Amino acid sequence: MDASMPLRLQLTGITKRFPGVLANDDVSFSVRPGEIHALLGENGAGKSTLVKMIYGIMQADAGEIRWDGAPVVVANPKAARKLGIGMVFQHFSLFEALTVLENIALGMDGTLKSRDLEVRVREVMSTYGLLLDPHRTVATLSVGERQRIEIVRALLLDPKLLIMDEPTSVLTPQEVEQLFEVLRKLAAQGCSILYISHKLHEIKALCDTATILRGGKLVATCDPKQETSRSMAEKMIGAGLKDIVRSQGRSLGAPKLAVSRLVTSKAGHFDVPVNDVSFTVRAGEIFGVAGVAGNGQNALLDALSGEVLGDDKDAVSIDGYPLGLLNTTGRRKRGLCAVPEERNGHAAVGDFTLSDNSVLTARDRLGMVIMGLINGGAAKTYTGKVIADFAVKALGPGSTAGSLSGGNLQKYIMGREILQRPSVLVVSQPTWGVDAGAAAAIHQALVDLAAEGSAIVVISQDLDELLALCDTLAVINGGRLSAAQPVGEVSVEEIGLLMGGVHGATEARDAIPA
Amino acid sequence: MPFRLEKRPEPSRLMQYLTPAAAVALTMVVGAIIFSLIGYDGMGAVREIFLTPLTNAYKWQDLGVKAAPLIIIGVGLSIAYRANVWNIGAEGQYVVGGLAGTWVALATYGMSGPWILPLMVLAGVVGGMLYAAIPALLRTRLNVNEILTSLMLTYASVQLIYYLIRAPWKDPMGMGFPQTRMFAEAARLPTIIPGTIVHLGVPIALLVALVAWFIMSRSVFGYQMRVVGTAPHAARYGGFSENRTIWLAMLVSGGLAGLAGVLEVAGPFQRMVPGFPTNYGFTAIIVAFLGRLNPLGVVFAGIVMAITFVGGEVAQTTIGLPNAATGIFQAMVLFFLLGGDLLVRYRLRRVASTPATGAA
Repeated sequence: MDASMPLRLQLTGITKRFPGVLANDDVSFSVRPGEIHALLGENGAGKSTLVKMIYGIMQADAGEIRWDGAPVVVANPKAARKLGIGMVFQHFSLFEALTVLENIALGMDGTLKSRDLEVRVREVMSTYGLLLDPHRTVATLSVGERQRIEIVRALLLDPKLLIMDEPTSVLTPQEVEQLFEVLRKLAAQGCSILYISHKLHEIKALCDTATILRGGKLVATCDPKQETSRSMAEKMIGAGLKDIVRSQGRSLGAPKLAVSRLVTSKAGHFDVPVNDVSFTVRAGEIFGVAGVAGNGQNALLDALSGEVLGDDKDAVSIDGYPLGLLNTTGRRKRGLCAVPEERNGHAAVGDFTLSDNSVLTARDRLGMVIMGLINGGAAKTYTGKVIADFAVKALGPGSTAGSLSGGNLQKYIMGREILQRPSVLVVSQPTWGVDAGAAAAIHQALVDLAAEGSAIVVISQDLDELLALCDTLAVINGGRLSAAQPVGEVSVEEIGLLMGGVHGATEARDAIPA
Repeated sequence: MPFRLEKRPEPSRLMQYLTPAAAVALTMVVGAIIFSLIGYDGMGAVREIFLTPLTNAYKWQDLGVKAAPLIIIGVGLSIAYRANVWNIGAEGQYVVGGLAGTWVALATYGMSGPWILPLMVLAGVVGGMLYAAIPALLRTRLNVNEILTSLMLTYASVQLIYYLIRAPWKDPMGMGFPQTRMFAEAARLPTIIPGTIVHLGVPIALLVALVAWFIMSRSVFGYQMRVVGTAPHAARYGGFSENRTIWLAMLVSGGLAGLAGVLEVAGPFQRMVPGFPTNYGFTAIIVAFLGRLNPLGVVFAGIVMAITFVGGEVAQTTIGLPNAATGIFQAMVLFFLLGGDLLVRYRLRRVASTPATGAA
């Protein structure tokens, strides 16, 4: 790496604002030729937005991008590829029914005779040791092999910068090793690599430099080989944690919600199922599930709420009564309410009025149905109460859910469930994208509900939130739940390491089940 | 691509209700132009098809008789379509409903009593439901698209008529004509206005629409149909099973199509003939959409479509328009309606030929 060479990529003061969010705030960093550069941060830290601007999918509001020393405007991905920027996305865009070669041909900007293309493809494959039969049908390939198609696709353009977005999230440990070899070979030939991940041990093993983002801001640039996974986790999560304030002299009651050996099946390629999860939540306890997105949180919520049913009736139980085979309605009647992460289209119907949305989950517990007919008056009254108690900014029960802002809709949804006084409440991302005031109100309501003797499960990626709110904490990673620990006894470092998939002493060797 | 469709942030409610009227108006204008261009009296065609049935009081009874099956089937389809269950085979369910009623009528031939007609109606509804159960079963068990299966079963049902009236059900006194014998008095639908052809099916159609409107707007069943169609993920969260909804939607729409079939065979036809399938089941698809998938809207849409049927017949005799003209006008209504709906939800944006602007 010649120091006299111009920087391959240099970002200066990149700022990108979305309505209500500053996704990137004055971010500056640079990538040298042949450098493997990690972009590290929690979900929502602004990694994806930043990369989308480099690849021309979005334009920055302010700031400058320099390429090989010269300022450039990357108008669109085609322009990015012309500059020599290749990108391998987390989710592949492949036609299952076509062969490897046909898929590559479809993705090319220019046209090339299929024979010439095959020669080029074979060349690239043998140079980098990417084993793949160009004539295999994609449907018959493993996820790792599919990723290789995307990499070949990017390498055919002779990129000078390759962006890899969470490339290992779907790979087996063996495939990860193979991928790293390819990337190291590429870097040795002078291609820069921008590697996005939150897996600390991978970054330590692979990268020369790490740029850490938190809340859209660049918080540190460091050499991962000089850092420990602990120190990087701290920077990623942030040291400025709120104090844990909990009411004094609280005692937890008898076990209420019991989850025993819960297993879900894998529905799609990018689904992370839950594997052998067991935990108990006592009356009055708030149980936190920390973890980076995509580690089985959605499967856990669906399995607890009853949206996806397993075949073990004892997998989920309240006060010893098995709920495992009941659907959401049956579980609600037994006192288990849930709030999924996605508000519009899952927790609420955007086209429906708030009143009609109350009917969605509260109809049985609150007697809104008489002989198969909906008691519109009862729904309206209850909705009015939710709006008043949770300070939802809405014209009234007749407003459509879609007309509310994200934070207000979340307050309505949380209120709709909490005011049903469930004996068990399971919530996912209760304050995602909600302003600080509303978040505090939601937290208060959860604490109050627990004080009345309900058992509460909070699934969140916001560690600050969990530490402030929960009595007990466990970390979900790769569909497995770590042992639960009282919040007072866990350290942020330990949680951060568990979230990054580092389990105690077996750093870098943790086997994630395929 | 020089043009691009862009989603409107908030589609206008008013426009959503105006689209059906605009579609009918556009159909008249374009219809007049098309038929003028191919050498007919275009203005006359539109007048005869859309206005004569309304201005000529003698035609009103025809309107009622034609609108009744369209409304009954259209109401059923509007319920299914609300749940995003695409039953396209109402024509087949209508035919099987008619056949089931015919079976009762023939089996009770020579008997009398007020129980025969209700039994026929029951058989018709059950027949339509059973025929709709085939696509429902295939969809829920094997994930076969109900659009294809329900449509194809329509053609099978027509062959079933041909078989039954040529062999087992053939009129013994029919001099070889492929048709059943005339139903006995007890198996015929009574007319309600003496001296006209307006039969009991007309008030039944209005009743069906009213009941359906009440159920769709007030009951958990209606709520389930709406929420599954609008937000399937939320429906699952709310405890509504998708498969159960598919079954309910298919059975209700099939049962109502069967009801229309039995009322038609016991009313206007009074025997099963090869010409029994008259495309009511297909036209009712237009009726359901023109009525905004609302049972009360379907009543008005059913009358509009009945006008084109009656008017089409008028135009055949008065200005020699071919029978297919009716189909052209009906198809244009659906085309303009769907096009209008698209433009209410999306706007057409001209896109610069160089793709320089970044996507938001």
